[in-house]
Amino acid sequence: MRRQLLAALAALTIVVTACGGSATSSPSQAAPSAAASAASASASAAAPASAAASASPAGFDANAISGPVVLSGWQSSPAEGNALTQALLSFQATYPNVKVDYQPVAGDYPTVMAPKFASHDVPDLFYVNADYAQEWIAGGFLAPLDDYIAKSAFDTSQFFPGYASIFKGADGKTYGFPKDGNTIAMAYNTALVTSAPKTLDALVTLAQSLKGKSGLKAPICLNPGLDRGLAFLYAQGGSLLTADGKASAIDTAPSKAAIQWYMDLFKSGLGMTASDMGAGWCGDALGKKSAAIIFEGGWLDPSMTSTYPDVKYAWAQLPTGSSGSPVTISFTVSYSIGADSKNKDQAWVLLQYLTGKDGMTKWTQGGVALPARKDVPTPAGKDVLAASSAFAKPGSGFMVGWPAVQKAFQDAFTAQIQGKTFNADPVITATKAAIDKALAGG
Amino acid sequence: MTAASLARRPRAPNKGRAEALAGYLFIAVPMALFLVLNVGSIVYALFISVWKWNLRSGPVEFTGLRNYGTALSDPIFQTAIRNTLYYAVVWVPLTMALGLFLAVIVNQKIHGQTFFRAAFYFPAIASSAAITTLWIFIMAPDGIFNQVRGMVGLNPLFSLLGFTANQNWIGDQGTAMNTIILLNAWTTSGTFMLFYLASLQSISREVYEAAAIDGAGAWQTFRRITFPLLKPGHYFVATVAVIGALQLFDQALIGGGVDGAPNNALMTMVLYLYNAAFKQFNFSYAAAIGIILFVVIFTATLVQRRLFGQAPAW
Repeated sequence: MRRQLLAALAALTIVVTACGGSATSSPSQAAPSAAASAASASASAAAPASAAASASPAGFDANAISGPVVLSGWQSSPAEGNALTQALLSFQATYPNVKVDYQPVAGDYPTVMAPKFASHDVPDLFYVNADYAQEWIAGGFLAPLDDYIAKSAFDTSQFFPGYASIFKGADGKTYGFPKDGNTIAMAYNTALVTSAPKTLDALVTLAQSLKGKSGLKAPICLNPGLDRGLAFLYAQGGSLLTADGKASAIDTAPSKAAIQWYMDLFKSGLGMTASDMGAGWCGDALGKKSAAIIFEGGWLDPSMTSTYPDVKYAWAQLPTGSSGSPVTISFTVSYSIGADSKNKDQAWVLLQYLTGKDGMTKWTQGGVALPARKDVPTPAGKDVLAASSAFAKPGSGFMVGWPAVQKAFQDAFTAQIQGKTFNADPVITATKAAIDKALAGG
Repeated sequence: MTAASLARRPRAPNKGRAEALAGYLFIAVPMALFLVLNVGSIVYALFISVWKWNLRSGPVEFTGLRNYGTALSDPIFQTAIRNTLYYAVVWVPLTMALGLFLAVIVNQKIHGQTFFRAAFYFPAIASSAAITTLWIFIMAPDGIFNQVRGMVGLNPLFSLLGFTANQNWIGDQGTAMNTIILLNAWTTSGTFMLFYLASLQSISREVYEAAAIDGAGAWQTFRRITFPLLKPGHYFVATVAVIGALQLFDQALIGGGVDGAPNNALMTMVLYLYNAAFKQFNFSYAAAIGIILFVVIFTATLVQRRLFGQAPAW
């Protein structure tokens, strides 16, 4: 009897250990978060307010739609979770017949979504990062929204063009609307920098005066890639593509000069990569006081408040360069409906609310992200970043094959600064080759 | 009827067949899972690699061997192959030597033998993600490694070899791969120590006694007796090591990101496959990479079998 019990226990242990997974475990879909289930539970229990939305003309009445909708995306912080809960509660009050089931994804989002697309079992409404928006649109994973836009007379004029243009396919159709955005601006340590430079030349002068002071590893923390370098390329009058987006413009004289200028920052020791400073990213470098000036977006604020609360910093617009006009780059994420989603009508009701004025206000007023619409008030403390939305150009997702172009630039640039040759020409050659290949559809 | 006469009686034919049937039934479920999930996946990957494949709608266009051609002519993939082979060629002998060294030490009767065995094996079972992150902190420009070598006064030796005082070990394209090799040599040496330990303990004491009588010293005993008699151990460890080395992924992803930064120094074949699948969403291309990797590992295993002779019976 005892031996059998022991054998059964051993078998059970083996089974449990095997199911526990190896060291390299794949990300699994998270169960609906407690906050979300609390939200839907309390929303359905609360007395529904009278439907405030007016009935739309021409066939799509959002108030008449009822049913479930599965919402998915990632959650970078508890603050985001709270903000989304607020937005969803307010949605539930406006459209009580549409039940939202929030199922966030833990782990690497594109890796988790890929099997869902393959098995045709996708959430109804989900996030799409601009980084891979063009890939997903070209792959046919997203549903075009033009019918819905026309039938519900959805006002698309208030979106900043820098954000909305990313989610249009090559066929001209719209595949998503930006749920929020973020621009790149200059964050500087106020103890070391008294007044923010307005031009890139003033920035260089300021950096030269800061070199070697106060234990700084380098005055400026920079990324050796286009994720920040693109902003400087635009500022100095260069460009990756021609205005129509059909050919590469990285080898024009202004572009070459801009890339070389960026390279020279590393050469002169005024700029250094976060990795060489011993930080995971430039935000860490600012917090550890290894750098005095960094270029990041709104995600810096919650990170600094929680990890480096004693470091005082301020925001300023990206300094203007030789192009003369203010420019920066933006990053955004859309709400999109899957081509295989089961509840497309309900998903559209949720989408047009969350990217409409009311929903976006609820989502952004806590400061987790910037509005992607002009008519949404700026969250407190984000004036500089929000003002940059007006002139920000897309920082990713504006061409198919963008990941390969970015990689080509970063590989060549890193080789130059680590090999200490600091020559922009190989970088330009490599990037041009990648752009040509991507535009040719390869 | 004695037990002996019972044993000598031939078994009834039904009983033999029933036993065989029972055996097959027992392995039926695991074998089915193996065929479908392992063999079936490889066959499916082979199938989709000859198409232009859309993740959602399936086959788009038959392309034959085009994916393979693109892969083999891509300079980044060539770098990935080079990195993976370099890693295998350096890491396998290093970790085998380290594992053998630890096994020989731990096989002797010393105080705390069990503790040492556990301590040397521990890194192998700790989470690879956690250990790699820890290693990145240790090897950072202002991390513990650089600080300690400064304090101990080893910096002149390092600058002789061309390294600065606050060298960025993992972020520098020249040193990144070697740093990962050191990390993996340390963590996997425990596993190989276990394998060699099992092998060592199968060598009978009489051989050592005979050697001692003939006047063999410690090093001679090791070189002429222990090392050759460990052939089954060498064969097994080498095969397992090479297969594992050619599939390096975890540490490359955590150390260099999905792009194998800096400048493809940490791009391995599996990382390239992951990049193709989940960054570029080109799954048929990723399947072709997988098949190429399969061929490489299979060839390496066949070569080892030829080198070591037949797989020895334990």
